[in-house]
Parts: sequence; C-alpha cells; structure tokens
Amino acid sequence: MSPHFQAFSFVDHIDSGQPGVDITGRYTVPAAVSEFSASLVAEAVGQLAAWSIMSAKSFARRPLAGIAGRIELLAGVRPGQILDLAAEIESLDDVAVVYRGAASADGIPVIRLYHCIGPMMASEQFDDPLALQERFELLSGSGTAVGGFSDLPYFLLEVRRHVHGQSLVADFQVPDEAPFFMDHFPRRPVFPGSLLMNQSLDLAELLAADIPAPALDEKWVATRVEDVKLRTFIPPGESLELEAQLTELEEYALTVVVETRRTGRITGSAQISLSSRRR
Amino acid sequence: MNQAGISEEEIAAIYPKVAATMADALGCDLEKMNPGARLIDDLGAESIDFLDIVFRLERTFKVKIPRGKIIEEARGDLSEADFEKSGILTEAGLVRLKSFLSEIPADRFKTPLKVSEIPRLFTVETFCKMVLRQQRAAGTAGGPAPA
Repeated sequence: MSPHFQAFSFVDHIDSGQPGVDITGRYTVPAAVSEFSASLVAEAVGQLAAWSIMSAKSFARRPLAGIAGRIELLAGVRPGQILDLAAEIESLDDVAVVYRGAASADGIPVIRLYHCIGPMMASEQFDDPLALQERFELLSGSGTAVGGFSDLPYFLLEVRRHVHGQSLVADFQVPDEAPFFMDHFPRRPVFPGSLLMNQSLDLAELLAADIPAPALDEKWVATRVEDVKLRTFIPPGESLELEAQLTELEEYALTVVVETRRTGRITGSAQISLSSRRR
Repeated sequence: MNQAGISEEEIAAIYPKVAATMADALGCDLEKMNPGARLIDDLGAESIDFLDIVFRLERTFKVKIPRGKIIEEARGDLSEADFEKSGILTEAGLVRLKSFLSEIPADRFKTPLKVSEIPRLFTVETFCKMVLRQQRAAGTAGGPAPA
C-alpha cells in the first residue's frame, strides 16, 4: 500500500461544508495503534481545514502549518474511537489563511484550536494537485477505508542539560526516513509541525515532573498550548535542540515555554500550560 | 513629514505599541527593537513572522491590513508592468519604492532589486507607517485600540 494519503493522513470522510468557509468530517483512529496523541488530533483538524481551503483554491494552493494562537487540550482519545472534526475558515487569500477548529470523540470535546494561521504555498511544490483533487472527491463521496495510519516511530529526546524545576535542554534527531515523510509531503518531505509540538509537550511534562503536584494522586498534564509557531521547514535528518523553561508557577498551574533551535536559530516555539490532574 | 504625509510625531506616538507587538511576535527583547531595525537582517524574522506581525498588529490596532499591502501601496498608480519586469524592479519602480519607503537609507536599495527582496528592506518604522496608513483609511488614527 502506498504511504501517500495513508501514513500521515487523518481525515477519512468529509461530511459537509462550503469550500473556504467551513467543513466537517470524521476520522476513525485505527484500533491497532498504541496511542493517538493530542498533537495528532490537532493535525487531523488542521488537515480537515486544509481540504476546505485547497478546494476553495482549486487545489493550486495549499496551507502549511505556521501559527496556532491557542490550542485547548480537553481530553484524550483512545484507539478505535471516531473523531468528529470541524473547522471554520476565518479569512483566506493567496498568502495566508486563518481558521479555527475542534474535535470531539463520542460527543466529548477533545481539542479546540483558535486563531490558526497558515501560509499559503503552491500545492505542486508538495504534492500532485490532481491527486489532491481526486482524494478530496473520494473523501467527499464514499470516504476511505479505516486503518491507513500505523504507530509513529519512537522519537528520542536526549536530555543534555537539566536544572531541576527550572529548565531542560534536549537534543532531538529528526529521522532520515520514515513512512510519514512520503505522505507529508510526497514532493517535499517535511517533519510535521504537529510532531514537533508533541515533542515540546513531552519535554514540558518532563520538566513539570520535577515540581510536586498539589496532591499525591495528581500529576501535571498539558491542558493548553499558546503562541505555537513553526518558523521554518524541518527536513528529514535535521538535528534540533529543544529547550523548556518554567516561566510561571502557581499552586494548581504551571507554564513552560519550549523553544526549538536549529544551528542556534529558533525554528519553533510554544507556551504550554499544565494543570494538576488525577493520575 | 515624509512622502506619505506621516509625521515623525505620529510615528513616535504609535512606535512603543508597534515595537512591543513585533517583539512579542519575534520572541526577542524589546531592547533590541529600534525604529531603523531591519526585520530580517537585524531581528532574524522569517516569512511566517511577517504574517504573525501583521495579524498581531491588526488585533492591537483594530485595523485590517491586507497581505502584500506594502508592495501594492508602494506601486501606487504605476502599472505592474511599469513597476517590475520579470520580478525585477524597473527604474521607475525603484524610484517609487525609495520614495514610499523613505524611512530606509538610500544605500540599502541595491540594484537590480528583486521584488522578492523588498521585504528584506522593511524596518520597524515601515510597519509603524503601515499601521498609520490603515488607521487613516479606516478613520481610526490616534493610537492603539483600548484593551
């Protein structure tokens, strides 16, 4: 099976919508995967929005991940659950799109995205526009079979410096090869921004674990991500450095800022809020 | 008063808010900001930062800033063909651009100048002027919107 539209594609059916205005759809998390992170749910919402945007631009232009003003992480998702996805396009031109979106599973809201800004690029740089159009027609019609996605490879964050309760610096090696690169994107492999956000969330929770939660049966859990920005494309094989810094500490909430650097320059950043939750 | 009829006082009045907004978008210290700082070469901005800055300025000053507005406004009544040929500014286009971006020292305009290289010239003051022009167009000149 070709990894295109399989290895990193998270919409199996488009239910309704007007191109460039709004869209709803579904994705069934394959039952065989071991987990499906909040970052992948955010990716699914972004991909649904992208279908609406691309169809409004006759598949000549497509959005890419850029900025997310706020992402609320409301609940986890289990393998086998069906995600109901929705997105509304707030503004769209040939340079940029602004949209918001949400996902729920079994009627329970799992994520909300606000003020997401994506730069618009020529689709042909990343994929075959005709293949995109055919895929959109398939998703809008009968939809696709469930189960194209399988677990992601394990990404190691190698902690290099640790100031207890204050900061963590870790190295992260983007793999040279992975199935998702053939889907994201076939003509120009790019490490997905959602996976970088996942690494940032992992590092923030690792740092937060230094700080005792308010109760013994509680732990710090990421509940909100703000000012997420991906400033450059990350190609396969890139060496990155992630730095997490605790910036606010209250009784029931922490804030951690994570910056990603490539050869000293900031490639990505996010401000992560964590709250204490029962284990 | 410069080419656009924008006074230094008007720029000085909105500069602190523009600089703070841009520093937030770029994740840099406010101390690094000054009116003549170039976004790309001095402040390390990437193309996504330009989008971020524009959207943040829109929210801060409650104005609408269409994407690509600076170059479009710089062109003015010159036709696209008179302004640039094959992505390179014509002589007339360069004269128009220098006049429009009067805050930028003349020696920063290299020749030939590609249209794609114009954003490299932009300074913090360029964005102050852009906000002021949009405020005037909307009839809301007079500073940032109340919080």
